[in-house]
Amino acid sequence: MLFLAWSFTQIACGQEPSNPNLDAQKIKGVRQLPYPSYTGTPFLTSEWCPGKVEFPNGEISDTLFVRYSSFKDELVYYNKVAGAQINIDKASINGFEFIDADGRTRSFRKQYFDDYMKGDRFFEILSSGETTLLAFRKVGLITTPAYHDISGVLKNMAYDLNYQFYFYSPEKGYTLVRINQNSLLAKFEKASQRPIKKLLRKSRIKINGESGFIQAWKTIEKEGYKVIF
Amino acid sequence: MIKKIILILLVVTTISGNAQDKTSLGFFTDRDVYVSGETLLAKIYSPTDNASRIVYIDLVNSSGTRISGSSIEIKNNEANGFLQLPDSLSTGIYLLRAYSKNTVAKLKIIREIWISNRFNGLENTKQLKRISELQAIQEESTPKLNLEGIESSYSINSNVTANIKIDESLLKKIDGNLLVSVAQTNPSFGSVSYKWSSDQGKDGLTEKKGIILSGTITDKKTSAPASGATVYLTIPDSLPGFQHYQTQSDGRFYFQLEKYYGSVQAFIQCFGNTPAQRLKINMDELFAEPGNLPDFSQQPISEEFKNNITTYIDAVTFQKVFSQEKLKFQAPPKEKSKSYPYYGKPSNVVDPQLFIDLPNFTEISRELLPGVKYRNFNNEPTMQVMNAAARDYFNEMPLILIDGIPIRNLNVIKDMGTQDIKRIEICQSERYYGDLRFPGVVAIYTMKSDYSRIPDSDQFIRLKLDAIQLQAKLAEPEHSEPDIPDLRQTFYWNPSVEPHETLPVKFSTSSILGKFKIIVRGRLKNGTMVLAEKQFEVK
Repeated sequence: MLFLAWSFTQIACGQEPSNPNLDAQKIKGVRQLPYPSYTGTPFLTSEWCPGKVEFPNGEISDTLFVRYSSFKDELVYYNKVAGAQINIDKASINGFEFIDADGRTRSFRKQYFDDYMKGDRFFEILSSGETTLLAFRKVGLITTPAYHDISGVLKNMAYDLNYQFYFYSPEKGYTLVRINQNSLLAKFEKASQRPIKKLLRKSRIKINGESGFIQAWKTIEKEGYKVIF
Repeated sequence: MIKKIILILLVVTTISGNAQDKTSLGFFTDRDVYVSGETLLAKIYSPTDNASRIVYIDLVNSSGTRISGSSIEIKNNEANGFLQLPDSLSTGIYLLRAYSKNTVAKLKIIREIWISNRFNGLENTKQLKRISELQAIQEESTPKLNLEGIESSYSINSNVTANIKIDESLLKKIDGNLLVSVAQTNPSFGSVSYKWSSDQGKDGLTEKKGIILSGTITDKKTSAPASGATVYLTIPDSLPGFQHYQTQSDGRFYFQLEKYYGSVQAFIQCFGNTPAQRLKINMDELFAEPGNLPDFSQQPISEEFKNNITTYIDAVTFQKVFSQEKLKFQAPPKEKSKSYPYYGKPSNVVDPQLFIDLPNFTEISRELLPGVKYRNFNNEPTMQVMNAAARDYFNEMPLILIDGIPIRNLNVIKDMGTQDIKRIEICQSERYYGDLRFPGVVAIYTMKSDYSRIPDSDQFIRLKLDAIQLQAKLAEPEHSEPDIPDLRQTFYWNPSVEPHETLPVKFSTSSILGKFKIIVRGRLKNGTMVLAEKQFEVK
């Protein structure tokens, strides 16, 4: 008991009151203007999620409510004091993570994409290791047959999921992969494809979605198979 | 039950006994006797349980007046720095103090040094003051730390190579780096460090990230602390640094200077809740109050000491005449990230020099600035910036900056012509920086960059700050001009020697004659300060 009391005293003495005013790393951004209202959603999550933002100097701000805009590849946070939704400047952060409605922690990292549409993008990290499995959660606009929206306005556009998945290695770059078994197998040497197929069958892994794909990749990676870029 | 409690107490005692002493400290200088205008080199072993990133050293005279100081970065519980001794110091005993703001009331390390004025000998001085009745910080001399290859005497301007041998058992116990110094010694004046904790007052905030600049905003009429005032700190640079603070009921404000090194110019502004409210900025001292000093006693001064001082004064005067620098400065660490101004990437950058001469800002805004509406009706200027996303003008005044400093009085810019302006950056969006909202930004960078256009007031303070001290090392002696004698009194100073079994030390003697000492100092994991020293003479 005494020891516990002593430990708690030590912990309490080591803390100092935090002051939000002293947070030198102020978040920079612009007010987010509402996106056009079409069928579908421009955001990855339907609600604001508690999240953390990492700044280039390594500092972390963990008291934000954030939402990732898949449509514009932007992170939006709600500033209670200003009462405004603010697009955080992409250049001012390194990455972010948030807990979605299912309780899953989703981590995003800003990386330079050197292929078509070069520039910094937020990629979701699905599996990290020597070769990282990344998802670019893109939502685009497509033309649809004319319809009336909730306000009765005639529209002919809709938000369309266009997620892209990549294997990434800092030395070799990006290689696009689709979420199916054939695309995954094609990322390995011919000689390895049959044993990988056998491995997946033995492990009873079926790739019929993102989670199956991630599980398959983790199993293959564990066995030491290398992705060809 | 009693047995259990005794057992727990025994366990706790054992744990505490085995733990390292986190409060041990040390404060060392290259010499104990200096001449005004010289640079003093210092090393501080900071307590390992102190979370502060900054340690201050300052110089206080024997009557308790603070003279100068510097703020040094602590890295791995050690701080290496220097202090410039002003030219105008009068001859006598001075106290060097080392402390961190968060423990300043409880603990300071003090060290007494002698400083002689360059233009004032010791003819009339018969006694000197020394600290009395204070317990010194103990250093343990150990045979496990050996200095090999040092002879009893050397000739002037000769090269010396010595070896420091550290016993394996000691090597495992050393915590951090060693300090190795070779400098002139004055046998009639030896100094030690003392722990000093008799000051009154309160400890400050823990400077975990960097120097904390603080002060109080008061109402100019009532002198009461102003609540809810907005305080800005601007540090002009190629990319201006900016911080803001909203005061609470105590009127206090704090800013962190974590990435600034050396001397920086800073501007502090405050704004009240209403334009009519008049406020005053009261800055806190960066250094601690001198407070109480230890007791001194008078001691007779020896002839040998007087003679040595005369030699030192001549040597330092000569070095000053030939501008021989003692230190070589290292560039401050650079930020890795791609940076842009806190007010965002500008949507337009205008260089007025590329256009025809325009006499005032009304003309400039009309002819050159897209999306900026500047009007000067009845000598009451107004400015609005276009909100590009909403395709309309903001109703409020934008953030207007002159050389990075925010201004609210547009009369400051109304007479600015194209000849005065280097470039203008415009942000046509509703920007946010923390909780601050900027309805558009117009940043004007002037040709002179001298901030002279900004009027002085109680709500605007210009500061020249000594931020975190730049890293410096002892300059190598220059042999390019053999006719100029080398009059160094400190031959070697390396405060960051990584401990190994054998450490070579190379230095060269100068043209100064006298007694010198090579000293190796270090801190053990149990907190003990250890040293080994050897004296030699230059003839």
